[in-house]
Amino acid sequence: MANLSIEHLNKRYGATTVLNDVNLSIEDGEFVVLVGPSGCGKSTLLRMIAGLDGASGGDIHIAGKLVNTLAPAERGIAMVFQSYALYPHMNVRKNMTFGLKFTGVPPTERERRVTEAARMLRLEELLERYPRDLSGGQRQRVAIGRAIVREPEVFLFDEPLSNLDAALRVSTRVEIANLHRLLKSTIVYVTHDQVEAMTLADRIVVMNKGCIEQVGKPLDLYYEPANLFVAGFIGSPAMNFFEAEVEGIEGGRARVTGAAFRTLDISAASLKVGDRLTVGVRPEHLVRGEAGAFTAEGIVELVERLGEASFAYLRRVDGKMFVAEVRGRQTPAPGETVTLVAASPDVHVFDASGLRVATETR
Amino acid sequence: MAEPVSHVTAQMPRAKLAGLLLFFLGPAVVIYTLFSIYPLVATMALSTYTSDTSGARSFVGLANFQTLLGDALWSKPFWNALGNNLIFFVVHMCVQNPVGIALAGLLSLPGVRLKGFYRTVMFLPTMLSVVIVGFSWNLILSPLWGVASGALKAVGLGSLFAPWLGLESSALVTLSLISVWQFVGIPMMLIYAALLNIPEELIDAARVDGLGQFRIFFHIKLPLVLPTISLVSVLTFVANFNAFDLIYSVKGALAGPNFATDILGTFFYRTFFGNQLQLGNPTMGAAVATVMFFIILLGLCLYLFLVQRRIRRYAF
Ligand SMILES: Nc1ncnc2c1ncn2[C@@H]1O[C@H](COP(=O)(O)OP(=O)(O)OP(=O)(O)O)[C@@H](O)[C@H]1O
Ligand SMILES: [Mg+2]
Repeated sequence: MANLSIEHLNKRYGATTVLNDVNLSIEDGEFVVLVGPSGCGKSTLLRMIAGLDGASGGDIHIAGKLVNTLAPAERGIAMVFQSYALYPHMNVRKNMTFGLKFTGVPPTERERRVTEAARMLRLEELLERYPRDLSGGQRQRVAIGRAIVREPEVFLFDEPLSNLDAALRVSTRVEIANLHRLLKSTIVYVTHDQVEAMTLADRIVVMNKGCIEQVGKPLDLYYEPANLFVAGFIGSPAMNFFEAEVEGIEGGRARVTGAAFRTLDISAASLKVGDRLTVGVRPEHLVRGEAGAFTAEGIVELVERLGEASFAYLRRVDGKMFVAEVRGRQTPAPGETVTLVAASPDVHVFDASGLRVATETR
Repeated sequence: MAEPVSHVTAQMPRAKLAGLLLFFLGPAVVIYTLFSIYPLVATMALSTYTSDTSGARSFVGLANFQTLLGDALWSKPFWNALGNNLIFFVVHMCVQNPVGIALAGLLSLPGVRLKGFYRTVMFLPTMLSVVIVGFSWNLILSPLWGVASGALKAVGLGSLFAPWLGLESSALVTLSLISVWQFVGIPMMLIYAALLNIPEELIDAARVDGLGQFRIFFHIKLPLVLPTISLVSVLTFVANFNAFDLIYSVKGALAGPNFATDILGTFFYRTFFGNQLQLGNPTMGAAVATVMFFIILLGLCLYLFLVQRRIRRYAF
């Protein structure tokens, strides 16, 4: 168990920059999830922590020790891969003990660790089987077992659940959460599944184009996204955005207008008349009503019914679409004009550069 | 008939199904029969005849084989050729395939520059005409004007030089090594392709497990390309026991010195077509060819039943 700190980490392939000045500090025992769109550099960052790829610049410390030049096996990490990466020509037991043999763990100790990991992951029955005779979920458990027996300081997971079917994904997710509770180890976990990120993480790191956009607790990211990217990335369906402009300032409060919503009154010291803004409201925070802190109208075009909720896709006055969640059995009919309101804490305001504007809506 | 393969074929009128079978299988059957099965059967048939001085043929059963294996005049050169052929094969197995594997392993290492260049260069001799290969090596190793002795002298090893191709003790091994030089590209390419098939994440997992490139090769890569290596071995076996051209182009049909480089191919050639004072004997030649066929068949059967069954291909 150890903390992990990454300072000014860069990765370039020729002229393309894959990671750009990444700084991240992870506490001992913390479960950190890296999320971001495909190609944003999550795997690259994880592989650099593992030592599988070299850095173009910057430092990585694990447990206070600079590991830049250390081989993967010397860094005190273990990694679980998306494709499981089990050795196909070794049975489960050998898969787990194989690495230990080369790091000088005596046989009795190897046996003890395998027995314990097998018990923890319910693999006892499978120890003599070969990977080809295992189901996807079992293979993933073996891969996790192989990581556990290394007794690493830091566990690294690269999309470990994405090859599993939906039901198995949920149960394995719970297992990983339990494992973390049991081992109290530091975990860095890459996923592009928001649910995984929200449910597992102590802290989420949102990445985009090789940069960290925001680091925070799951609900902090949800309720206070630092910028437009995080606001749009966290939450499903994504947050609705409305173009807006500051029309006037009176007594420290700004009147914000936009084509597609009724004038909004916010308190924001930093704003000036004429500032271009983006107002964001999550679909689940929009409810039917007459007038609220935020009010917008739209014509229903399509309703998706999921059971516990339905999503109405509405055409706004300015021609763009937005989404609102509708609870209950009564869903609006296509063609109907609906007025939706949101309470003031649920209205997010971003300035022209996309950064969150600290506001107090009324 | 067995279970219908599909509903489409099951519902087809018989005539139409037959037409379909003929259309898809016909060409292969015709070509295979014409150029493989017929010559094989004809050769075997021919080996049971003998021709007298007038050229008339008469059926003699297995007498030709009796002569070949029993009559010292025939059996001595035959066993000599077979023994030489075995040495030829052993040299290929012990040099060509390990070197091919090693080259493939090196090529598959991460961060090797100019991979494409090396690959092409090492594959180049395979594409050369065997006549050119034989001729060039004859020149290179010639004690009179070859560059080999000069090159050895230049590095102070002149005393090591010998007319390898001319000595009974070394001619066969030298020729085998020339053949190895020419064909090492084939095992290299096949194994390289198999190595590329191993997923990157598996190698990464081994690196996280603390293995260096050397151990990764021996503990992970090699076991996973074993099926390809065994395939390469079989191909080597078949090619070696059918070999002829290199010996012929370097040493001629007499496979000198004193038949030291005579292998089954050259032995067959002399028997069938004749050479200098030896008259061509097609029926005896057919007997030699038949024996060669059975030797290769035996080798393949041993491989199929003893090796192939134990080797497992891994799906990644
Ligand atoms: N060897 C390479 N040469 C050039 N570019 C590379 C190389 N390896 C990765 N990249 C680039 O680095 C970027 C980040 O890749 P990475 O695999 O880290 O993405 P990711 O966030 O894990 O995406 P995903 O969610 O699809 O797995 C990609 O744009 C990719 O094209
Ligand atoms: Mg990835």
